[in-house]
Amino acid sequence: MRKIFASLVMILVAGTFAIRAQSAADLVDICRTSAGDDATYLKDFPVELEAAKPNEKAPMAKFSMILSKNTKYRFSICTSETSEGKAVLQLYDENKLMGSTYNSSTGKDYHSIDLNCTKTGIYHVFISFQDGKAGSAVGILSFIEKL
Amino acid sequence: MMKKLILYLLPLLFVISCKPGGGRNSGLSAPDSVLNQGALEVSGQAMNEIIENISSPVEIAALMKRVGAPFSNKYLATTDNVSNFNTAYQQAFNLGIYGADLGYLNMYNKTSSVLNYLTAIKKLSDDVQVGQFFDFTTLKRLATNNQNLDSLMYISVHSFNQMDKYLRENKRGNLSALIIAGAYIEGLYLATQVAKERDFEDLTDRIGEQKTILGYLMIILKNYSSDPYFAKLIASMEELNASYADVKITYETGEPQAVEKDGMLTIVQKDVSIVHINKEQLNGIIAVTEKVRNDLISL
Repeated sequence: MRKIFASLVMILVAGTFAIRAQSAADLVDICRTSAGDDATYLKDFPVELEAAKPNEKAPMAKFSMILSKNTKYRFSICTSETSEGKAVLQLYDENKLMGSTYNSSTGKDYHSIDLNCTKTGIYHVFISFQDGKAGSAVGILSFIEKL
Repeated sequence: MMKKLILYLLPLLFVISCKPGGGRNSGLSAPDSVLNQGALEVSGQAMNEIIENISSPVEIAALMKRVGAPFSNKYLATTDNVSNFNTAYQQAFNLGIYGADLGYLNMYNKTSSVLNYLTAIKKLSDDVQVGQFFDFTTLKRLATNNQNLDSLMYISVHSFNQMDKYLRENKRGNLSALIIAGAYIEGLYLATQVAKERDFEDLTDRIGEQKTILGYLMIILKNYSSDPYFAKLIASMEELNASYADVKITYETGEPQAVEKDGMLTIVQKDVSIVHINKEQLNGIIAVTEKVRNDLISL
C-alpha cells in the first residue's frame, strides 16, 4: 500500500510539473516559430491576466524595451488554447500608439506587426485581452533585418 | 487509514505543485553576498521596465554581417581563464561577455568554435546557480552536428533570457545587471574592433547611438554603486561614457504610418534619431572601449 501511495505521489508531482512546464515553454516555441522563417527570436513576454472587474478597465501587462534605429522588428502575439479571451498586443513609443494587433474599428486581427524602427530608444508593449476577458498569452519580439 | 491519507494529501500536493514560482528552481539558494541588499534608487519595477533588450548580441552581430565585415576569431574573449573567475560578480559579468561572443559565433555559423564558449557558459551559469536554464546538452548536439542553426540561436538567446528573468525574480538583479553589462561591453567591443580595421558608415552610426543605450545601462549599474565591485565597474564605464561626451544625437518627429500588405501590418516610423559623430570621436571611443573591456574581463 505504501509503495502504491509513493508511486501515486511521484506520478502526480511529476505530471503536474511536466504539464505546466510544457504548456508555457511550448507556447513560446510555437509563437516564435509562427513569427516566420525570416524572424530571429529576441524576447518573449508571457502574460496571464484575470478578467476585468465590473466597471473597470481590462487588465494589461506592460513590457518596456530598447529598440535600435535602422532595424526591422516583428511583434507577434499567440493566445493560449485554454484562454478565455483573445490577446491584443499594442506597441507604444513613449505615449504614442504605433500599432496594434487588433483594429477595433474594423474588427480585424493580426498575428503580428512589423516595425521599421528609425529611432533608438525605449518602447513599450502592452498586452491585454479583448472584452476584458481572462487569458494567457505570449508576445514575441523578433529581429528581422537591419534596414 | 492510508486511503484517507491519500485522499487528503493528493489535493494538497496538487496545490503545492501548481503554485506560481514553485517550479524546478525554487529549491535553489543564493549566497547572501549576491542578494540585493538595501533600497534601490530606481524601483525594481522601473528596472524591469528599462532592462529588456538593452543589449542584443544578435542585433549587433547581424549588423556586422550585413555591412560585410568578415568574421574574426581574434576579437573573441579567451575561454582559457574561465576557472579564474572566483566570485559571483566576475562569473556573471563574464557570462555576459561569453554570451555576446556566442551570439557573434552563431550569427556567422561558426559552430566549430562554439563548443568552447558553450562549455565556458555552462560552467559560469552553474557557478551563478542558473545552469538549469542553459540546455548545454541540446546546444552541444546542435553545434556538433552543425544542424538546425536557427534552433541553436533560439535556445542560446532563450537560455540567457531565462537566466535573466530568474535572477531578477529572485533578488539577484545585481547579477542580471552584470550579465547585461558584460554582453553590452563585448558587443560594443566587437563592433569597435571591426570599425577599427575598416570604415563602415552603418556601424559607425550604431556605435554612436550607443550613447543613448549606455545612459540607460549606467542608470541600472548605479543602483548598486555602494558595492565595491560595482563601484569599480561604474568607474570604468564612466570612462567610456566620457568618450561619448561630444557625440550628439538629434531627433526629428513625424507620425507613424501603417501599411498593410498581404495581410501583414507594417508600421513605418517617421520619428528619426540622427547620430552626429566624427572620425576623431569614433577613434576615441574605439580606444576607450578596448581598454575598458580588457580591464573589465580581468576585474
